[in-house]
Amino acid sequence: MNITLILLIIVPLVTAFLIPFVDVFSNKARKILVAFSTLLEFSIGIFVIISNYSSITNNSFFLKYYLGNWIPPIGITLSMDMLSLFFSTLISFSLLFIVIYSIGFIGHHEGKYYVLLFLIWAAMHGIVLTGDIFNLDVFLELMLITSAPLVAFKRDRNGTEAAIKYMFYGTIGGLFVFIGVVLVYFNLGTLNFADIAQNFNSLNIFSKKLISVFFLLGIFIKMGVFPFHFWLSKAHSACPSSISALLSGVIVKVYIYVFIRLFWNVFGYNILQQTGLNKIIFVVALISTVMGHIMALNENDVKRMLAYSTIANLGMIIAVLVINTKLALLAGLLHVLSHLLMKVSLFTTTGYILQFTPGHKLEDLKGVAYKNVLIFTGFTIVAGGMIGLPPMIGFASKWYILKAFIKSGYNWGSVITIGGSIFAFVYYIRYIISGFKKLSLGPPERFRLILSVFYRERVVTDIAFIFVIAVIVVGVFYKVALGPLEGAINVIQNPSLYIEGILGG
Amino acid sequence: MSKTKHIFAVLILSLLGITLLVSLSKLPNQFEYANSIYHHVVNNSITETGSLNFVTAILYDYRAYDSLGESTIIFGAVSGIVLLLSRKTLPVSSHGLSFIVKRTFGMLTPFIFLFGIYIITHGHLSPGGGFQGGVILGAISIIFSIVYGSEFDYKRYSPTTKTLLETSGALLFIGLGFMGILLGGNFLMNLNILNAEVGSLLSAGSIPFINIGIGFKIGAGLAIIFYSMIQKTFKEEVDL
Repeated sequence: MNITLILLIIVPLVTAFLIPFVDVFSNKARKILVAFSTLLEFSIGIFVIISNYSSITNNSFFLKYYLGNWIPPIGITLSMDMLSLFFSTLISFSLLFIVIYSIGFIGHHEGKYYVLLFLIWAAMHGIVLTGDIFNLDVFLELMLITSAPLVAFKRDRNGTEAAIKYMFYGTIGGLFVFIGVVLVYFNLGTLNFADIAQNFNSLNIFSKKLISVFFLLGIFIKMGVFPFHFWLSKAHSACPSSISALLSGVIVKVYIYVFIRLFWNVFGYNILQQTGLNKIIFVVALISTVMGHIMALNENDVKRMLAYSTIANLGMIIAVLVINTKLALLAGLLHVLSHLLMKVSLFTTTGYILQFTPGHKLEDLKGVAYKNVLIFTGFTIVAGGMIGLPPMIGFASKWYILKAFIKSGYNWGSVITIGGSIFAFVYYIRYIISGFKKLSLGPPERFRLILSVFYRERVVTDIAFIFVIAVIVVGVFYKVALGPLEGAINVIQNPSLYIEGILGG
Repeated sequence: MSKTKHIFAVLILSLLGITLLVSLSKLPNQFEYANSIYHHVVNNSITETGSLNFVTAILYDYRAYDSLGESTIIFGAVSGIVLLLSRKTLPVSSHGLSFIVKRTFGMLTPFIFLFGIYIITHGHLSPGGGFQGGVILGAISIIFSIVYGSEFDYKRYSPTTKTLLETSGALLFIGLGFMGILLGGNFLMNLNILNAEVGSLLSAGSIPFINIGIGFKIGAGLAIIFYSMIQKTFKEEVDL
């Protein structure tokens, strides 16, 4: 029994409930509450790592919590193994800085904004820690419902349209997941992950295939993989940059966690192999990569370009994961880490830059570098990482992906990875050149604060720098991350560890 | 949309529908699966939870954590709607309906309130519970705004009061969960505060309290949604 697991979910939840209550009395108290809970949640995450350090290093890390004293499979179980720990740490780290970034970035309707942000935080931890398939569905729904209003936060026509699309496709994806949950209960009479994993092989092949297809459809629609990608670029670019960073950097990774947990630990990778679904996923993911890169090349709006690049990178992560060798899984998880850091830092830096431009278009960015050369250099460095240049984390993860593709003989994958890097070079360099263009009109006249939302410049720039530095530092010392990642891969490849962890002892 | 596009969409949808229907009908019927938790709940839920109503036993005891998530979804939806629709202007009151309607609802509203409270508190004995009763309580605020005018609603039952009610409902739920930890069990453990004979009102442990918490949360939440949606309408009416 470990109480920290439930605290990781309850602390943001209670904060979200308390914010409207405190907001009635004073604004200042609300700000203190937000800062306090953010730090508290982050330190709980750190505490989990420190107090279990020895078991993390020798790969025996497993925490569980039975809610309401009901032992599985009757009640709901929370569990944390190396895979959950990896994603939970990523979520805590990035959310800590995104909340601080929002303090400087969002200037109106702050009360409700933080309520929704903390609810998303709680939902993400709920998804990552849960060991129950219906509970997973509940928190997926919570994450969708709370992030949709934030997409429409600017309340303009563009944002509202994007939010309606996001909500619509998210709900359809959620419906597929829900039908999948119903089918699982209908066939197995249980909702516990470990119990499902134990009995899933006793089903006939047709039911297994149907259940897998429903879950795959649901997750892929929510994630924005190729045939369902059309809503993503709008939703990820219409909102304020802090929310773009959250959607494009973090929430998408939570869906990848759900994909890994369901199809490796719960249903087992065998089911994908038996039914030939893994080949279909591989091809669809690679098409998604190509389409993402082509559409990013075709785009003149900087935030939409970043959103299309997310589609491309997601496709690459999924394609490399379904190869299912040890190296491939390592490459996939490393790219999850690398894409999260790079996308969040790209959106935080562009969020600052776009405050000084009349629009998001390529022409509007002319000469914007001279407003704040350091921030734009940061943008350039991270863009280099996205392309795959050496000192940044992007190089390491792309290198591993390339190795994984070549070693397992998927040459098309390696061709697309290299081609994608070349495409990325072209579409990032356009914005960088445009940013450094000299203008006859001096910077102070051209660039002034246009939106009223932006009022604490220092906080915003500092957080953007923290992410840029993180991209470089993690890129140099990425070998440190390989140890914990191997622990996570150990969990992914041995579903029996997960079953024993929850049902045994 | 052109006509061919419509036909194309209908064709694709019916094809998908037929595929779905055929595949679902091919599924073997395995509901009598031997290890199903269904057997456990049906055989033991009365002794384990003290609730006569199986659905309530599952919703507020076996899977109370899911109910916490579900009521949080409604809380999130309320916050989102308030975020998107909130305006700084105070709502402009309509005058409400005629004298006869006002008098009739003056007599009816206490009974509606009583019915809502009944549904909430008898969740463990009869159909109903916090979600259903909360909706009935939320309807009272809607009656106030439509029959007596939104100004009456604003004065009697201001947005601040609604927010406080919603938050206190949520905190009651989570507080009960934490009581479980303090008493040496786990989060959301059934506390056995009320342990009279099964079938009486004061039975089923902490289930009635969770119901009350959810009832307040849902009722106040729906009232807030209605309140933030009417503001614009009344403003437009005045502009005309």
